Amino acid sequence: MPGKTEFSENAGKAGDELIRLVDLAKIYDTGAIKVLGLNRINLTIRRGEFVAIMGHSGSGKSTLMNILGCLDRPTLGHYYLDGIDVADLTPNELSAIRNRKIGFVFQSFNLIARTTALKNVELPMTYARIPAGKRTKRAKELLECVGLGARLSHMPNEMSGGQRQRVAIARALANDPPLILADEPTGNLDTVASIEIMEMFSELHEAGATVVVVTHEDNIAAYTDRILRFSDGCMISDEKNPNPTERSGKQHLSGLYGSLYRREEAAADAD
Amino acid sequence: MLIENMRMAFQAIRANRMRSLLTMLGIIIGIGSVIIIVSIGDSMRLIIEEAFVANGTTKLSVRIDEEKVKDVRESDYYTIDELEQIRGRFEDEIVYIDSAPDVRSRVTAGHSKMIFDFSGVDYNFPEVVPIVMKSGRFLTEAEVLGRSNHVVMDADSAKKLFGTENAVGRTFRTTIGGYTDEYTIVGVCEEETNLFRRLVFSLGQDEGTCYVPWSILTYPNDHFLLCRVYAKEDVDMEDFAKRLTAYIARIKNRNEEDFYVNSSIENSNMLSGYMAAFSAAIGCIAAISLLVGGIGIMNIMMVSVTERTREIGIRKALGARTEDILLQFLTESAILSAFGGLIGVVSASGLLYAVGALLQQKVVIRPVVVIVAISFAAAVGAFFGWYPARKAAREEPIEALRYE
Repeated sequence: MPGKTEFSENAGKAGDELIRLVDLAKIYDTGAIKVLGLNRINLTIRRGEFVAIMGHSGSGKSTLMNILGCLDRPTLGHYYLDGIDVADLTPNELSAIRNRKIGFVFQSFNLIARTTALKNVELPMTYARIPAGKRTKRAKELLECVGLGARLSHMPNEMSGGQRQRVAIARALANDPPLILADEPTGNLDTVASIEIMEMFSELHEAGATVVVVTHEDNIAAYTDRILRFSDGCMISDEKNPNPTERSGKQHLSGLYGSLYRREEAAADAD
Repeated sequence: MLIENMRMAFQAIRANRMRSLLTMLGIIIGIGSVIIIVSIGDSMRLIIEEAFVANGTTKLSVRIDEEKVKDVRESDYYTIDELEQIRGRFEDEIVYIDSAPDVRSRVTAGHSKMIFDFSGVDYNFPEVVPIVMKSGRFLTEAEVLGRSNHVVMDADSAKKLFGTENAVGRTFRTTIGGYTDEYTIVGVCEEETNLFRRLVFSLGQDEGTCYVPWSILTYPNDHFLLCRVYAKEDVDMEDFAKRLTAYIARIKNRNEEDFYVNSSIENSNMLSGYMAAFSAAIGCIAAISLLVGGIGIMNIMMVSVTERTREIGIRKALGARTEDILLQFLTESAILSAFGGLIGVVSASGLLYAVGALLQQKVVIRPVVVIVAISFAAAVGAFFGWYPARKAAREEPIEALRYE
């Protein structure tokens, strides 16, 4: 589909399933006792949804986040991501899935230390074997898009928390993944930066991206359309959020629409 | 991806400069000592070869083996007539023959006194040993036959004795064979300039050397222990030595085994053999230091892997495969040690050339040694980097990400 941009393809498919969990369970075997991390979760997330996963610590929300992120595997049941059952994949196949299908945003930013913002954003594309010239170009565009065009060569320790998280968002978008997975993305940020980051996710959602945010804060979850609550490894509620928090009106992402990566190109690069 | 890995490896090395340098130190010292030791061995061999060329490569001396033969007879020693007889018998092969007489004696010239080493030679000695005249001339046949008190002195000795190199025509007094007499210098030749070689052949600082007609040293004695022969260039020395010894044994009425044969080829082979053994022994020690260097790299890489567990987790989360991480850490340790090897080679070469310049000795550093050393260093890095790299590559992303 030439001419299509960024998330327009996702937007076009809105309503399709992106994530489907079937009787998913995670059991931690600590030797002496077996701990049930997740208990028979059945869940479907469609393309273009903006979802919050909520719960206190120990509720199973982190376990779910790890499984959704293909960082961990379910003990029982199935997890279909973009139509692929990831439960049976090898570690390297999971790496490829994470690389192509998921954009991570972590609470502690998880940028590579002593490595410039540009190189950090390039990293997922490096592992996707995208040629150096192309990937530097896109990394620059992404950093400009999140408003860090002037800080390409800054090291993570030379930036504020909000800036670091914006680098992380640029990095998450690098391979144009269908799923953006954010784990407590505002946990280490002040209120102003938190609002900024959440409004960015909101903008991405509006552009057609599927965004899943794990949080324990209600005001963060309030930005989303759908809130899933977890407790003791079980999903206790799945509610629509009829009134997502209004955006301030300030545009945080610039030039994202109609300028960047095209899925066809990505496919061509991968061959 | 390899280039990408190298880039990342360089980045990591640069990011931890101090630690990288300390890690490399083991390899630097290891490779440096290998280069130095091999070069010393090679240079020594060159010195020995040069020394043998300077002494003549076709030299052969035959003498009665006094350790083996208990009843040494008068007839076991050579007479002048016998030397002439040997020369006549092997006319086509012998260029030069004498009894290599040698005397040390105190020399007086005005107020200066010195010990001199007098080598008795024939007039055609420069045909077999390269002697470069600086002034004057070498000894003539007439001087040898007439037992003239004429000498050829090397420039260094002349300078010490007379205070000048231009000593042609100058005289000194000395006692040879019980007779004190006056001697005249007819020629000055080039001295041994190589300080290192002087040390090796223990030419004393206060001693001089000069050539005199052999007839001065042998008279009135006519019993010589040695028969020194210089053969022609194209003579098969091994075969010639055999035939010469057989002939001497026959005229002396002895067995061939009763004679001790000394040839320059044999000596140089023997010394080269010693040098090779010496190099090999020290090489082993150097190899051990490389091993220690390699273990140092492994140690640091282990620390580095642990320290960067989180980074490994992030990389894996972003899509790094097992091989990507393995290759990254492997490249890092290989680069670290190859680079250390390079520094080792450069600093060792610098040191060697500096010392070589100081001793006025040509230093031999064979390119193949350098290439082997650096490749070996990289191999050490890759070998010792393997375990830590595999450890890194096998990290579970979720565990690695949780690591604080």
